[in-house]
Amino acid sequence: MQRLLVVLWPSFIVAGVAEGIFFTLIDPRELYLFGEPVHFSTIATYSVGFLVLWAICAASSLLTCFLQRTPGEINGGGCGQRLASLAGH
Amino acid sequence: MTIETSGSNAATEQAQEVVLFEVHKKIQVRAVSGIFANWRWTLVWFTQLLFYGLPWLNWNGRQSVLFDLVERKFYIFGLIFWPQDVFFLAVLLIISAYALFLFTAVGGRLWCGYACPQTVYTEIFLWIEQKIEGDRNARVKLDAAPMSARKALLRGSRYAAWVAVALWTGFTFVGFFTPIKTLSSELFTLSFGPWETFWVLFYGAFTYAFAGHLREQVCKYMCPYARFQGVMFDPDTLVITYDEERGEPRGTRRKGSDYRTQGKGDCVDCGICVQVCPTGIDIRQGLQYECIGCAACIDACDQVMEKMDYPKGLIRYSTENAIAQHWGWKDIAGHIIRPRVVIYSAILVAITAAWLWGLATKPVLRVDVIRDRATLAREVEGGLIENLYRLQVMNVSEKSQNYVMSVTGLDKIEIAGDSGIEVAAASNKSILVQVRVPPESGKKGSNVIYFDVKSRNDEKVAVHEKATFLMPQ
Repeated sequence: MQRLLVVLWPSFIVAGVAEGIFFTLIDPRELYLFGEPVHFSTIATYSVGFLVLWAICAASSLLTCFLQRTPGEINGGGCGQRLASLAGH
Repeated sequence: MTIETSGSNAATEQAQEVVLFEVHKKIQVRAVSGIFANWRWTLVWFTQLLFYGLPWLNWNGRQSVLFDLVERKFYIFGLIFWPQDVFFLAVLLIISAYALFLFTAVGGRLWCGYACPQTVYTEIFLWIEQKIEGDRNARVKLDAAPMSARKALLRGSRYAAWVAVALWTGFTFVGFFTPIKTLSSELFTLSFGPWETFWVLFYGAFTYAFAGHLREQVCKYMCPYARFQGVMFDPDTLVITYDEERGEPRGTRRKGSDYRTQGKGDCVDCGICVQVCPTGIDIRQGLQYECIGCAACIDACDQVMEKMDYPKGLIRYSTENAIAQHWGWKDIAGHIIRPRVVIYSAILVAITAAWLWGLATKPVLRVDVIRDRATLAREVEGGLIENLYRLQVMNVSEKSQNYVMSVTGLDKIEIAGDSGIEVAAASNKSILVQVRVPPESGKKGSNVIYFDVKSRNDEKVAVHEKATFLMPQ
């Protein structure tokens, strides 16, 4: 749960900033999706845009989280806690 | 601080490293009254009257504060911001950041303790909790009690009241982006748009989770500002401090007893400062990063000191230097002006002045000239060469305006058709303009021309824009 929050929260903040910058510079009515003009309502474009940005940022956060763990933690069955206690005894 | 390095300790340390956060214990906050609590409530009222009230207020026949995403215009009373004005909003953010740095350098976490939405909503949610379930002791008992009809009723009504406030907050939030009066009429006919419903619930859920359940964890683990605000502190920054010299050794005693002969300090060890702390720390252990500077412990301790007939201020706003060197208020005030504060203030004043000047001289007319991409140049009747342009005329003023446009730069250059443009207040118009030139006026290839758009009523409102005119090869 806490790991989930560590992934979702920073990506939420960054997605908010990215949304602001992106849609300040680009008018949603000028966007194209698969070569067709986007035919969603403006509010829907902003909303979907935010959720997509959030998902992209979350993927990045998730990867960071994943790379922070040592190979031992990822591959070693019960992960870090068991290794740490083994090292201590 | 000494670090023990015995084997077993190292093992626990390593084991602890794996756990991301300490196990969260629920904090039941004891309500507090006093001068700083009054300040906090004043700010709760002030900020929330603004937040809940502003969207309902009208200005020039429109919502006073409206971030109209569909039309891509932000209305803040008389000011209208277009996407081209993003610079102003960016500078406003920089000003806010510098103001925050300045306040923090002088007064510590004033923002966190009094004005942060997290603090404000937690205060509101705590108030509801206390009205429904009773004071701290009653709530601790209720937490421990097995589920009963009474507990279910109390918990249920508390959650219901929280949900109501959260939903109203979400509704108001969306009301800053979609006109709130439209929104409220949609509410009564139950015809909310799907995305409006989504954002009301989304923002409401965040409010509910943050103010109802996460509370101090937001400050401790989620807030980026809380992590780095320490760098703005120096030994002359006001922080909430326990006067250790005066308080220790702490201990219980009877009122009026001569505790000094028993070797005790002024702290009666009642623990109320810990009970009132929203982050659950003990201020007597010194300044900790969890302290949000809400001063609840000052209010609480002052009340106890008053009851004991001791002087107030065992816990008080003071600075590291003041405590160490036994300074009074005069010395503390004398140390406010220091290089850090002067630099922050100078930057703040300079940026604010530039920002205000920029706002005051913001152009009331903007024109973008874009060459029509479909046709480069064509020959029309009379052998003239025609180029097409799309003019985006933005009337940033509050009145409908009549403009006249003209074009210069080439011999006998002219605009075909009507050269007058009417643009309604605070809106823009896109018009297609045909510009015609005799072929002998310009060289082959691109020629520089200028568009002039002038207001008919005000000479000063004029825009001079460069464009290129293409002559066929």
